[in-house]
Amino acid sequence: MDRNQLIKWLKTPAKMSHKYSLHAVYFCTGCGIIEVPPSITARWDAERFGVVPAATPRQANLFLITGYVSVKTLKAIIRTYEQMPSPKYSVGFGSCPINGGMYWDSYNTIKHLDKYIPIDGWIAGCMPRPEAIFVAVTHLWTLIDKDMADGYKRYEKHYSAFRANQEQVLGPLPWPPLFSSRETE
Amino acid sequence: MRELELYYGPQHLGMVGNFSITLKVQGDRIVKADANPGYLHRGFEKLMELRTWMQNFPLVCRINVVEPDHIELVYAMGVERLAGIEVPERAKFIRSIYCELARVASHLFGLWAYANMLGFDTAAQWAMYHRDLLLDLFEELTGARVYHIYIRPGGVRRDFPRGFEQKIVSTLHAIGGKVPDYNSLFFENRLFKKRAKGVGTLTREEAMNMGGVGHTLKATGMKYDIRKIEPYAAYDRVDWDVPVYTGGDAWSRLLAIRDEMIESVHMIFKLLDTMPAKGSVCTKTPNPFKWNIPAGEAYVRCESSRGELGLYIVSDGGDKPYRVHFRTPSYSHGLTILEHALQGENIADVGNIMISLYVVAPEIDR
Amino acid sequence: MTHPMVKNLKSMFKPIAVKQQDERRIMLNVPKDSLMSVLIFLKNSGYAHLGLISCVDRIADNKFELVYIVSAYVEEDVDDSMKATFVVSTFVSRKDPRFITCIPVFINAEPYERELHELYGIVFEGHPRLTPLLLEREYPIPPMRKDFDSRAYVEEVFDTVPFVDQEDDS
Repeated sequence: MDRNQLIKWLKTPAKMSHKYSLHAVYFCTGCGIIEVPPSITARWDAERFGVVPAATPRQANLFLITGYVSVKTLKAIIRTYEQMPSPKYSVGFGSCPINGGMYWDSYNTIKHLDKYIPIDGWIAGCMPRPEAIFVAVTHLWTLIDKDMADGYKRYEKHYSAFRANQEQVLGPLPWPPLFSSRETE
Repeated sequence: MRELELYYGPQHLGMVGNFSITLKVQGDRIVKADANPGYLHRGFEKLMELRTWMQNFPLVCRINVVEPDHIELVYAMGVERLAGIEVPERAKFIRSIYCELARVASHLFGLWAYANMLGFDTAAQWAMYHRDLLLDLFEELTGARVYHIYIRPGGVRRDFPRGFEQKIVSTLHAIGGKVPDYNSLFFENRLFKKRAKGVGTLTREEAMNMGGVGHTLKATGMKYDIRKIEPYAAYDRVDWDVPVYTGGDAWSRLLAIRDEMIESVHMIFKLLDTMPAKGSVCTKTPNPFKWNIPAGEAYVRCESSRGELGLYIVSDGGDKPYRVHFRTPSYSHGLTILEHALQGENIADVGNIMISLYVVAPEIDR
Repeated sequence: MTHPMVKNLKSMFKPIAVKQQDERRIMLNVPKDSLMSVLIFLKNSGYAHLGLISCVDRIADNKFELVYIVSAYVEEDVDDSMKATFVVSTFVSRKDPRFITCIPVFINAEPYERELHELYGIVFEGHPRLTPLLLEREYPIPPMRKDFDSRAYVEEVFDTVPFVDQEDDS
């Protein structure tokens, strides 16, 4: 760490605190539950990157969607995502949220998670190794530095389009809209 | 006292896997529990009808994410029974060693889940670290840490690499040498006994009526193990015993898991000693793109780390399965037994009972 | 070597077909009305473990085939005949599939029948709760039937959801 980098960090303490203490929501959504415990325990330690599991979504700012998303899970994911406070980052893990993956012709899984909640980054693989999670986290740091990890801002801006997509698949949603419809498209 | 409805939902610190339970509580006591599966339903049985017999192997191992090897084994056994294929001798021994390594790795994962739920982080970290040592072995043998796709109808995909037997022996010595430390840290810990004794007690009749298998039944004193009743692979060539405990509560179940792990390690050493040194590892099967299997039906079963795993498979003479239905052990444990065992318990013991019954949610939903 | 139970089953219940695959597997096909008595007879003879209730869609014969797989809880050192598994099946009509529940005989049949109800549309009379177990949405026909095309369904429902255009912000 040289003097220039130290000065750059000290000028943006808010960004530093967003990057280096990512609290991940403890939600095992799919197949990927099998590679998350190895990455948070002793062999591949995620705490050296600042990633720590958080108890509830209201205390978290990283959402790792590990694996395929069925229709029932999508409801839980949307509720969890909307409960997290801003700024929040969401990362799709595995090839199933990207394009359906292994279950592309299943009657109960959705294919592109990007249509329902905003995603900041993807990790490819089936299963990705724990090192891939760490590469994704360091990539996310670069995006946060450049102000490009703005999934939460895009969610607010295009909320009516996201909600229309969610209601097209899930039917009328029992919870009220998160943002009132006054934003511009 | 007022009755409240709580969602012990999919996002919860005490839940392993995407599974939810709706609890009706009065104060701290549970009055009624309703299991709510379906978060992981992918419709495997429909997907498998659209792919050929060999194309189903990468799909079928994702049914149980914690331990995919026994499901590959049981599907390969079903296809072999329908097609009338025999497995060579060395391949049977390799299959047994492979499945026993998977059993030890799966039990270590269960130990991580249980210790993590109790809040006992040290034992959880140790268990996961030792499981990673076993996954290194799998990676050298098959190329992947999870989802190995190693077993195929007629044998296994490839033989052991050179020097692999020594690596297995040294890894198991490293893990087995830690067993006294595990005992003094976790299994003989006063706090673990207080937390797990008397919780979720099942009598033998209740467990048998409600379809309990695996160590849920071994903890009530019954030696019901498919490897002894219907031996497959090489389990009838070596001498081993089924550990049982009486008591039927979470403490007996965890001790039965520990003893089964130790017995598996001893079994692997004996299998390595009696394995034939040379031989083919796979019988030749026809071209997978044009393989039509004669019509018929079969029911095969094996003992996975959670209990009796069965497969009902029907063929109509074509190149795709006509009907495939897996009988998974977590189905009766997670739906019938869990709802019965949770009545009258505290909210804090829900995770305790659920993980000691070894419910893995993807197996319920398939 | 014929299993000792096969003779009793043939004489007492007049099954449509009996096949012994090997010394451990016996497949029976019985008429609809005698299935419950076969299950009760097997349970009283010691085969008290219901492994699976499954269903095969025989669309060519316009029937559903309900399959019940029963075996025994035994330890290793018991007579070989008790280690067998019975696969008992019966045919139900496909137009209006109804059958009686076997919960009075085997308690753990409850989730199996619930799942078959939502995936095939078979109504089990006497079942305490035939609510959806695994599925969240309504499908035009029960999804595991052979005439449900899942690829066409995916194209129609999930592929028509538009991507959200998020590129107009900088």
